[in-house]
Amino acid sequence: MNGQQLDCALDLMRRLPPQEIEKNLSDLIDLVPDLCEDLLASVDQPLKIAKDRKSNKDYLLCDYNRDGDSYRSPWSNEYDPPIEDGSIPSDKIRKFEQEANFAFDLYREQYFEGGISSCYFWDQDNGGFAGAILIKKTGDSGNKMFKGSWDSIHVVEIQEKGAGRNAHYKLISTVMLWLHNSRPESGSFDLGGSLSRQAEKDAPVTDMSSHIVNIGQMIEKMENNIRGTLDTIYFGKTATIMNETRSLVDLKGRAKMDQINKQMADALTARQQAQSKATPQ
Amino acid sequence: MSGLDEISEEERVRIASDFIMAAPPGEFKEVVNDVRILLGDDRLLTRASSVFYDYATEQFTSVKVDGVDCLVTKPGSVDNAKRFVDPTTNKVFTYNFLKNEASEVEDAERDMSVETWREAVQSALKAYLDEVYPAHVSAVYATMNKDNVDLTICLEDHKYNPSNFWNGKWKSKWDVSFPTAGGFGKVTGAMRVQVHYYEDGNVQLLTSKQVDDSIQLSSPVEGAANIVEFIKAAETAYQLAINENYSTMSNTTFKALRRNLPITHALIDWHKLHSFHVGKDIMNR
Repeated sequence: MNGQQLDCALDLMRRLPPQEIEKNLSDLIDLVPDLCEDLLASVDQPLKIAKDRKSNKDYLLCDYNRDGDSYRSPWSNEYDPPIEDGSIPSDKIRKFEQEANFAFDLYREQYFEGGISSCYFWDQDNGGFAGAILIKKTGDSGNKMFKGSWDSIHVVEIQEKGAGRNAHYKLISTVMLWLHNSRPESGSFDLGGSLSRQAEKDAPVTDMSSHIVNIGQMIEKMENNIRGTLDTIYFGKTATIMNETRSLVDLKGRAKMDQINKQMADALTARQQAQSKATPQ
Repeated sequence: MSGLDEISEEERVRIASDFIMAAPPGEFKEVVNDVRILLGDDRLLTRASSVFYDYATEQFTSVKVDGVDCLVTKPGSVDNAKRFVDPTTNKVFTYNFLKNEASEVEDAERDMSVETWREAVQSALKAYLDEVYPAHVSAVYATMNKDNVDLTICLEDHKYNPSNFWNGKWKSKWDVSFPTAGGFGKVTGAMRVQVHYYEDGNVQLLTSKQVDDSIQLSSPVEGAANIVEFIKAAETAYQLAINENYSTMSNTTFKALRRNLPITHALIDWHKLHSFHVGKDIMNR
């Protein structure tokens, strides 16, 4: 029964307005508490920000740095609020995590020119390791009436093979994009939600640094791809659907234009055919 | 997260109702099905079922009545909310919410005291709807209240394409109130658009706008023309403003969130980026 319930819960989250994700997820967990951990792991939420008091640096919160009700900072590697035996990565993976945070901080600056990024890595039972690379950026591009927010959630699994000379990478990426407009001419206007994509690849490895390069290239390519798709879906597709429910052009006038265009096209084709017949061979 | 208490049955019914009420246009059955399985108790679903009426009337759900599309709305609700009337065909029917079917169709009684006004508005409205709505369904309701005419216009136009993972709907409600003899009338409008795209994701447009104004009406034919002209201007302005938002936000807000490429116009050299850190580390020792 639980498998079917999880499917229905995920189907529901794909249908209900994403603008209400937090309320809907909270209600869903109340309704089916047995699915709590599964839901928190599978349903992406807009990223929340916390401050690491030791370093005074911001970091992002997600299910991957959560243990109970506490969150681990990628800067201090400590939980807030503090807990006993909170889950932390092995020394090797922690060192890698620090490298990744530095690298993706530079990546973030080059593409987002601001915002916050956080990386969390952990050991997997199968001997490989995995990580979550998160980025959050908000902005109003100077116009307070136009607000936008971007959340990237990239989850990557790494499995070394061939005596450590090769690795297999699996990436699942979700980008959440939120746009809000409060101009009185358009009343209340909210365009938001998320798109998800997956990718897999094999790449050569010489040492742990190679993983930074391989994962970095994979995420950069994926994010560029999703950015393009967001542009097409948000500003193309949803606008087209909206304009198909009500037309800005007089439908009768357009039907007449379509008819005239077709007549002209038919006439042109007929003339071209007649000319090609008349041309001496 | 730990030690979750079981919530009350009342809360479960409330959550089920909230979920159903939030179903996007065209996805009522799918959401009810999901909720049914998550509730795991049909008794509780029955307790939540008053939300079916709220949802259908809020959405101006359309149903075929003797082959003609008619709306399910609150102004059209009769017989203690058990049946619905369609003022165009003048039929009254029972509506099955889960099957989206009309039954027990009968002829309705007409309130002739307002019929001249109602019919004039319905006629003027149809010409306008045919101009800009490819698949409109509408209803013009009218009541007389102490020498005052109260008109309510409900209209919707939807496009459902679940096999391509999208659905969209435009919905407007216009209330016009004026003295029977003519004069100044109050106009209140509520327009709403919802679009849902859900292939490999969940993207939704939620937008609505309220309008409050007054217009002059003297006779049914002239008054009807004024009402429809007002509605046309307001709805067109709103749709233009929505399109302007799309254009502006795509060119400014979206671009300001994340660049296409770094300022170098090239992809990042990850080898260089990583060795920069390693080098810095060595220098700091």
